[in-house]
Amino acid sequence: MTKPLISIANLQKYYGSYHALRDVSVEIGPGEFFSLLGPSGCGKTTLLRTIAGFESYESGALQIDGRDMAGVPANKRPTNMVFQSYAIFPHLSVAENVGFGLRRRGDLDAAAKARRGAEALAMVGLDGYGDRAAHALSGGQRQRVALARALVLEPKVLLLDEPLSALDKKMREQMQSELRRLQRHIGITFILVTHDQEEALTMSDRIAVMFEGRIAQLAAPQELYSRPATRDVAEFIGTMSFLSAEVRDGRAEVAGLGTMPAPDGLSGPCVAGVRPEGMSIAEAGADGPLAAAEIVESAYFGDMTTYRARLAGTEALVEISMKNGPAVAVLEPGTQTRLHWSPDALVFFPA
Amino acid sequence: MSGRVLRIYAILYLVFLYLPVLLLPVFAFNDGTIIAFPLNGFTTAWFAELVAIPALHEALGNSLIIATVTAMLSTTLGVFAARASTRFQFPGKAGIMGFIMVPLVLPEIIVAVSLLVVLLQLGLSLSIWSVILGHTLICTPFCIAILSSSFSGLDRSLEEAAIDLGETRLSAFRLVILPLVTPGIIAALLISFTISLDEFIIAFFLTGTEPTLPVYIWSQLRFPQKLPVIMALGTLLILLSLILIGSAEMLRRRGLHKSGQKDAGGFL
Repeated sequence: MTKPLISIANLQKYYGSYHALRDVSVEIGPGEFFSLLGPSGCGKTTLLRTIAGFESYESGALQIDGRDMAGVPANKRPTNMVFQSYAIFPHLSVAENVGFGLRRRGDLDAAAKARRGAEALAMVGLDGYGDRAAHALSGGQRQRVALARALVLEPKVLLLDEPLSALDKKMREQMQSELRRLQRHIGITFILVTHDQEEALTMSDRIAVMFEGRIAQLAAPQELYSRPATRDVAEFIGTMSFLSAEVRDGRAEVAGLGTMPAPDGLSGPCVAGVRPEGMSIAEAGADGPLAAAEIVESAYFGDMTTYRARLAGTEALVEISMKNGPAVAVLEPGTQTRLHWSPDALVFFPA
Repeated sequence: MSGRVLRIYAILYLVFLYLPVLLLPVFAFNDGTIIAFPLNGFTTAWFAELVAIPALHEALGNSLIIATVTAMLSTTLGVFAARASTRFQFPGKAGIMGFIMVPLVLPEIIVAVSLLVVLLQLGLSLSIWSVILGHTLICTPFCIAILSSSFSGLDRSLEEAAIDLGETRLSAFRLVILPLVTPGIIAALLISFTISLDEFIIAFFLTGTEPTLPVYIWSQLRFPQKLPVIMALGTLLILLSLILIGSAEMLRRRGLHKSGQKDAGGFL
């Protein structure tokens, strides 16, 4: 990363005795689509509101564009926010909402303000909606107005607080790709708060996963998914099955799978995790590492079937997802089969 | 069957509520000093007489001044209290709000007597201002109740969004919060104005040489021949209240419609 746009160092925040942010340090680059992901109460919204200037902090430092933000109020920061409720001013028209932030811009005359407002509306696909009453809009339109209202000020950072949580599934998916396209188009930093791991994975350049006020892992989506740093992260993002394991002399003995080379720095009892697509039901005559198992449950989704299988000689259940196709049979519960797996698909965590 | 009973009950209820009020204009236009049937004939003399009583004009003037100042004071105090209670957390909030609301249920005679004692102990003379003080005390809880519902219906993010877009706390309040609670403010002004205008007990105790309209009316009841004039006065007051409350409700509904809020039920 070149010079970071936002740099947060050792931020500590308390609400009374509640420790909301625990030693949070993160650097976010210019033009980055950055997500704060975590369950509710993990501090992600607090961190976003701290960047916006709505929350103070006890210690640590927050810099935006090389400027220390201590004592800089929200209305003087180069950030703008899309609120979870959108916070559209109901007594104003769409154009008045979008132009609200331009009110104090003495360098623009009324015509220039109107033009900027219209441009912002066009950017979010609401061309010609200016005269409508804001309260008469649908949820998706409100969100676009909130976006236009924030972007019209040309902020260095756009902060989005769970912007898609109030939309239905189809609308949400459409807005996800639109937001991503918009961010690439204007090239400013977006910071998105979400509890939806799929949303974070599809949209972000990098994701910070937070638990209990701490950043548990900070990584690109693919790395986050395939190499989760902790078991908490692995469980929060996607599905992972866990098998007990024992590491001795650089070899790992994994229940139901056998021995394999262990990653460095591990010893004693640990846990091996595997994603549903890290294992597959072996075709007859397949070679490579195989494990005997019995199908316990199957769920057919059309394009996919997911199974839960019990590995032979253990009580451990693993989840497997298989792509369906003309030559692929859907197995019934009770079927004895063999699972194909790759040592690369296993992730080890200390027990 | 039960529907019929309920309908009769509703009609009787309305008759009981409004028959006395409807009798007011009837006798106000009756050509006779005795308030009884049969009616004697039509006259507007009693209304003409209203114009010719200077003491009445003074009392009306006093009442209007008191009601206007009381409405503004108690609504202003109400705005502060309603905003504090809906937007901020502070120690002892429930207790403080409770004590502020108590005058709503306190017997007025108690409030009146104790205020009189305090004012006399402080050596203050009774005047229009002592009545304003008492009326503000009893009107403020009404204003808080009305305004709290206006303030609590607002999304907290609205104010933050305005600040985020460059406004200060004060200008965000003026540009976003104030327009959205204006219907509530108008309702509070009107209710407190009306309460003050017809309040009798506190005004009776705290008024000095400047009686309010209700106190004046009470004093005139000793003279039976003045009764028709009082009826005429009452008729005008009813008309005035109807116009005031009707227009305030119209304003409130228009405001709600304009801002797209749901009608949570006004006072009318």
